[in-house]
Amino acid sequence: MSKQEWLIGTRMPRVDSEPKVRGEVQFTADIKLPRMLHAKVLRSPYPHARIKSIDTTAAAALPGVKAIMTGQDTAGVKWGVFRYTRDQQLLPVDRVRYVGEEVAAVAAVSPEIAAQALELIEVKYEPLPAVSDIWESMADGAPQLHDDHPNNINVHVAIEVGDVEEGFAKAHLVREDVFTAPEDSYFMTEPYAVVANPRPDGSLELWMPNAAPHQKAKALSNALVMPLNKVIVRKVAIGGAFGGRSDVFPAEFITAFLALKTRRPVKLVYTREENSVATRQGHALFTTIKTGVDAEGRVLARDITCYMDGGAYSSTGPIATSVPFLCMEQTYRLPAVRYNGYRVYTNKPIGGMIRIHGRAFAGGVDLQLDMMAQELGLDPLQVRLRNARQPGDTTPTGSYVQSCALSQCIQQAAEAAGWADKYGKLPPYHGIGLGTNSVQTGFPLGIRGGSQAMIKFNEDGGATVMSGVVDNGQGNDNMLVQIAAEVLGLDPGHIQLISADTEATANDPGAYSMIATFAGGNAVLAAAEDARRQIFEVAAEALEAHVDDLVAQDSKVFVAGAPDKGLPVGKVIRMALIQGRPVIGTGSFTPKVDHRREWLSNPAGQLSETFSFGASVAEVRVDPETGMVELLGLWLAQDCGRALNPMVVEGQFEGGAAMGGVGGMLREEHRWSDTPRCLNPTFLEYKVPLACDMPPIENIIVESMDPTGPFGAKEAGMSIAMSAAQAIIGAVSNAIGAPVYDYPLTPDRVLRAIRAKQDGEKQS
Amino acid sequence: MSLAIKSQGLRMTVNGEPVELLVQPHETLLQVLRERLDLTGVKEGCGEGACGACTVLVDGLARRACLTLALEADGCSVLTVEGLADDQGLSIEQQAFIEAGAVQCGFCTPGMLLASHHLLEQNPRPDEAEIRRHLSGHICRCTGYAKIVEAVSNAAARKRGEEPS
Ligand code: FES
Ligand code: FES
Repeated sequence: MSKQEWLIGTRMPRVDSEPKVRGEVQFTADIKLPRMLHAKVLRSPYPHARIKSIDTTAAAALPGVKAIMTGQDTAGVKWGVFRYTRDQQLLPVDRVRYVGEEVAAVAAVSPEIAAQALELIEVKYEPLPAVSDIWESMADGAPQLHDDHPNNINVHVAIEVGDVEEGFAKAHLVREDVFTAPEDSYFMTEPYAVVANPRPDGSLELWMPNAAPHQKAKALSNALVMPLNKVIVRKVAIGGAFGGRSDVFPAEFITAFLALKTRRPVKLVYTREENSVATRQGHALFTTIKTGVDAEGRVLARDITCYMDGGAYSSTGPIATSVPFLCMEQTYRLPAVRYNGYRVYTNKPIGGMIRIHGRAFAGGVDLQLDMMAQELGLDPLQVRLRNARQPGDTTPTGSYVQSCALSQCIQQAAEAAGWADKYGKLPPYHGIGLGTNSVQTGFPLGIRGGSQAMIKFNEDGGATVMSGVVDNGQGNDNMLVQIAAEVLGLDPGHIQLISADTEATANDPGAYSMIATFAGGNAVLAAAEDARRQIFEVAAEALEAHVDDLVAQDSKVFVAGAPDKGLPVGKVIRMALIQGRPVIGTGSFTPKVDHRREWLSNPAGQLSETFSFGASVAEVRVDPETGMVELLGLWLAQDCGRALNPMVVEGQFEGGAAMGGVGGMLREEHRWSDTPRCLNPTFLEYKVPLACDMPPIENIIVESMDPTGPFGAKEAGMSIAMSAAQAIIGAVSNAIGAPVYDYPLTPDRVLRAIRAKQDGEKQS
Repeated sequence: MSLAIKSQGLRMTVNGEPVELLVQPHETLLQVLRERLDLTGVKEGCGEGACGACTVLVDGLARRACLTLALEADGCSVLTVEGLADDQGLSIEQQAFIEAGAVQCGFCTPGMLLASHHLLEQNPRPDEAEIRRHLSGHICRCTGYAKIVEAVSNAAARKRGEEPS
């Protein structure tokens, strides 16, 4: 990218913001179709039970009820992200495994009648013994959730690279610590909803908040036994995802099934509680980390064992069990490492990937480095820099790192925060901490790993961009338009975007695992360059110029330096039409990853074409009487490759710091009854950060200009969400002069750590 | 269906237009606005008064439509997000939200905008702490609030005829 960009890198207001401030965009629950029915779902009151019988006679007789479905109607269709993890019946036939699992569903002329019908369905259950945590679940003789998984071990990821024991033997200092955290939740502001509409041509169109329309369509086409081109997932405004919309849920299967059965549109809108309990939750974690360092704090070996509470079914299990390890192996250099990750079934809601997935893993790695630095009399900042990943490195499991500015992130965040003046120099109960993290931009997804885009033109010079990339709120629509407008020299207002509509758009991997900009952006970039080349070829003849000398700007094509003699793009398009060479740009991008890599059987090879890196510093004050943490400031630095739109990137930093740092590390957790039943599924009891909870934030954008990212871009914000949380752990531990091992850092946990320290001091 | 409770007449002005309809006594203002009047800019994020997404102004006061019975608005003037812009274009708050990048997914935006409008009607010169306090009944999961606070502060300046700092 030698030429100076005119739109890339600017704070262009997002193209979707005006319809949003007008309240005109449609979210799924806003959709209203003629003859539309309303669905409700009956859920299990038991954490574990056999379904003996379901009697729907009385419900079916209720006027206004149009269809009822139970597991018996579905032939027990199963879902799982991988062929080997297909363990969830989309509507269970004979057994339920958590409180809130779907048991039956009704479609009726109004939501009130559907709700009333649920009360008339009679289900006879035979309650079974349930397990509520990983230790109970793994114990010999515990009730087994799935037949082929002894001791309820759903997934075991085993990785070993280098000679770990030799590393420990050579180490100057070795520490082993345990870090824990309970479940947390997404709480995207939009509750889950699905609308399904059967069409006269035999196709079925669906709307739902999703992170990958093409993947949803594929799963539904399997479950409904319909051709893929007949299952159409449509574009809709989406109220946040944060990892919680990636998987496939019974809701869309149920809604689709009821719509096909009644031949009418059906809408299902989840309550807030259903959104929390019956989509996904973050995993509870129990992580043991053993690290050996040399006298300078360089890590020689690390051995990690992590147990994750996965809930009742697999979901993204193999991925979820691997990712916290992968983030860490990307962040720091590691000559030898061993990882054993276990995802364990329990009778709880299903665990998924969340924006701060693995807080008791990444947080532990960094806190332990702080502790070791202290024991060695080193500055944790220096220890971070000594271990930081560098460009050109290869990670232990074999990913080449083509761009990385982690050291700059660490240095710049520390400098902005005044680390040198603060670390070790702050008054008691006042502390500073540093966190670093790295995330991938996608991972091997086989035939669905690439993104394809198309651009067509109208005779007036306007363009229509088609891309399968979905926007969950992070600004992907704008990213696509901004890239296309930049290349084509068109005003963003002259670009019409068709995105995330599986009838029109070609494949795209989805907006999860941080790949949207890298894959989808690159595909649109390629399509725009293809279209521009065609435009230039036509224009070059008319202008009697060479293609290489042309530029596209302000909706005109002209020889560089002579904008007055240019041709309007519309005119070039019309010339192309007359000449029988219409302009249609196509482009695709398939990330270079090692397709032999597999989560369990072969965790080796290129995971992702590139990685983003981030470092955050937090400063806190702790009230020793109450354990309350006051966050005084956050300094956030990320190597996002290139900030295509700094305003959008900053928004990702700030949002990440709120959800990952302030919420994820200071307050968010689910609580359980003995049953186990989730005790805080709503906003009233589950505390997400509010405007008044946020500290001052300084954003530091670091640009490493990735060699293959679109205009050098990688991913924005994800390594901030994580590293902000890690920084807060370090800051609180630094403030109280003792490590805190259990998260989130609620006053009770902080007080316990203060007391433990005081008791320790008394004894010694 | 046994919901045969007598419907009652409801008259109100919504976004400047008179509205007259029959509603059930238990129907919420949120239901009436969204389902009967198709004003789906009013969002339901929780249905129990906790998230602020359903905020509308009733006679100039911010109310949670999910906790307000429709009949409570009888004789009142209701403003929803759809009524913020006029023929001249977007309101100052809407413009400020766009320019500051305060909109991500947009689900919280209607409630945030009405709360901001309400604040600036009451207090043309709020400081940052006041803005944060006023918006703290509104949950945004995307933005971390920084750009929303900035937008409100910019809108306040512009309403006073000053350039945002
Ligand atoms: S929907 Fe009314 S406050 Fe959440
Ligand atoms: S912009 Fe998504 S909740 Fe506020």
